Amino acid sequence: MNIDITDFEQFKVVKLTGEVDLHNSREVKNVLLDEVDKQHHVLVDFSELDYIDSSGMATLVEAFNRSKTKQVQFHIVGAVGAPLQVLKLTKLDSVFSLLDSIEQAKG
Amino acid sequence: MTSIISIDNLDAHYDDRQVLFDVNLQVNPGEIMVIMGGSGSGKSTLLKHLLALKKPTQGKIQIDGHDIGSISSKELKELRKKMGVAFQGGALLSSLTVGDNVRLPLEHNTNLDTQTIDIMVRLKLELMNLAGFENLMPAELSGGMLKRAGLARAVIMDPRILCFDEPSAGLDPVTSVELDELILKLREAMNMTMIIVTHELESAFKIADRIMVLFDGKVAMVGTPDEIRNSDDKRIQNLINRKSRDEEVDGDAYLKRLVTGD
Amino acid sequence: MQSIMNGVSNIGGYTRNVISFIGMSFVFLLNIFKSLFSRIPPIREIVRQIQFIGVKSLPVLLVSSLFTGMAVALNLYNALIRFGSADLLGPSVAVGLIRELGPVMTALMIIARVSSATCAEIGIMRNEQQFDALDCMAVNSYRYVMLPRLMAALISLPILTAVFDMVGIAGGYIVGVVIHGESAGTYIQGIFDTVTFNDVLIGQIKSLVFAVLIIWIPMAYGYFLHLNRKAAGAAGVSHATTKAVVISAISMLVMNFIISSLML
Repeated sequence: MNIDITDFEQFKVVKLTGEVDLHNSREVKNVLLDEVDKQHHVLVDFSELDYIDSSGMATLVEAFNRSKTKQVQFHIVGAVGAPLQVLKLTKLDSVFSLLDSIEQAKG
Repeated sequence: MTSIISIDNLDAHYDDRQVLFDVNLQVNPGEIMVIMGGSGSGKSTLLKHLLALKKPTQGKIQIDGHDIGSISSKELKELRKKMGVAFQGGALLSSLTVGDNVRLPLEHNTNLDTQTIDIMVRLKLELMNLAGFENLMPAELSGGMLKRAGLARAVIMDPRILCFDEPSAGLDPVTSVELDELILKLREAMNMTMIIVTHELESAFKIADRIMVLFDGKVAMVGTPDEIRNSDDKRIQNLINRKSRDEEVDGDAYLKRLVTGD
Repeated sequence: MQSIMNGVSNIGGYTRNVISFIGMSFVFLLNIFKSLFSRIPPIREIVRQIQFIGVKSLPVLLVSSLFTGMAVALNLYNALIRFGSADLLGPSVAVGLIRELGPVMTALMIIARVSSATCAEIGIMRNEQQFDALDCMAVNSYRYVMLPRLMAALISLPILTAVFDMVGIAGGYIVGVVIHGESAGTYIQGIFDTVTFNDVLIGQIKSLVFAVLIIWIPMAYGYFLHLNRKAAGAAGVSHATTKAVVISAISMLVMNFIISSLML
């Protein structure tokens, strides 16, 4: 798994590549909570993500919840395939704000 | 495609009684394999072997590249983290709450934060329609709820292989259908390989990619639901049409059994 | 003839079963001790078991120790007074309790309260496939289920035994000093002059050995419940529990004699 952080407009784009599972979800959690705590708006880029397990999902829930208290924006971008299936299975697609592309976040 | 589970020439005994005869089976990754048979057909014994709870008397079982007969206890421990098992009656620890039962594998086998574990547990309980039952004791749950709680615990680590013993036994038809749908959804989203042991035909035909039929410890047939339906095997047709076993009665032997008990 | 031969081969089979059960039970005990070194023992479970084995046994223990002490003192007083040595009442009661009656009676109370319940609980866990489930979750059931009970017994029994001794001696005081009007000073000073460190040590060693016996035996009977194919289910649990209680009590009493004779 790889985590890349880039800037886009007012957002920090956190791009997850590969597989997020029990072994590395803590890393993801630290990065996301760190960005949210710094009052950054966050886009989590799923477009290169092959797999995310429920520890990864739990991590996203924690970060998303924190973003609400910190009043920053938090979107998930480009979820397809298995990660999207997991979002739907756990009904988290009704919780998160899902965007198709990074450009959508602008408007 | 290489098999994730392969069973070769498996024989099994209980004391002196042989219960499995030369069983062979290959399961592909992501496949739902249903093991079907009546009571006493040896299907539970076969499951025990797949879970490495019993060692084979003869033959070989390989799971994810590991030979169960000669696996080291350390490797077995790692393998078991990738396998989830839902037992017939749930097999929840009676001294722990439902929530603590579900989180047990995570607390023993991972070093995730408590808060992350809390959310994961609730996600799985939501998935099983058990939201709000987290703090109840197993004794306070109905049979169907226990089964679903057991399933929640089985999938809490997002295993690659899920074994499920009798998902629909003792459930009302509606709950049973819901559970079947849940099994299919789980496979779709998580791409789990599933071994499901059942004697329920309807459920088997609905969820299976392939079905293995066991009679008296022997494999009668392995095939897709359609192949099973169209089989010429009389015993399989009897099973499908729910006919009783009408075996030919040998008069002399029957008399001997009645009189001497042999 | 046939039935005699069957009987003989049954005896052979029975002996074989008993020996293999004893062997498995020792491996079982070894595995529990081994699990002590694998990770930190589950403290929360140990505390819960101490609550069950130790704290909740106290009321029963207080009553039984008081009356045991009083009964012993009553008999000893009648015997001693004939030789005009009633001043030896305190030491006699104390030594008897500390070396023999304290550890043995405490163990018997715990067998009645705890061993039976432990065997039944573990047997039912086996019946409900809870141990299979623990194995499949890669959770060490020796460490998670057995170790806390063993540790709790090892911690609780010496303390319970000490409580039994003290309350028993107080019971003797009631009989000797309060009822029969012997001197309080003689009763207490006699105890301090006579009871040696060795007496206390033997009592405590006994209670530790008994602790292992009376928790290990019922746990093994429950854990290996499924191996008895003739009595499964509820009948199996009740059968195992009865056996576990009887064997625990007998082996405890035999062990008591062995330790007594070795450490005279």
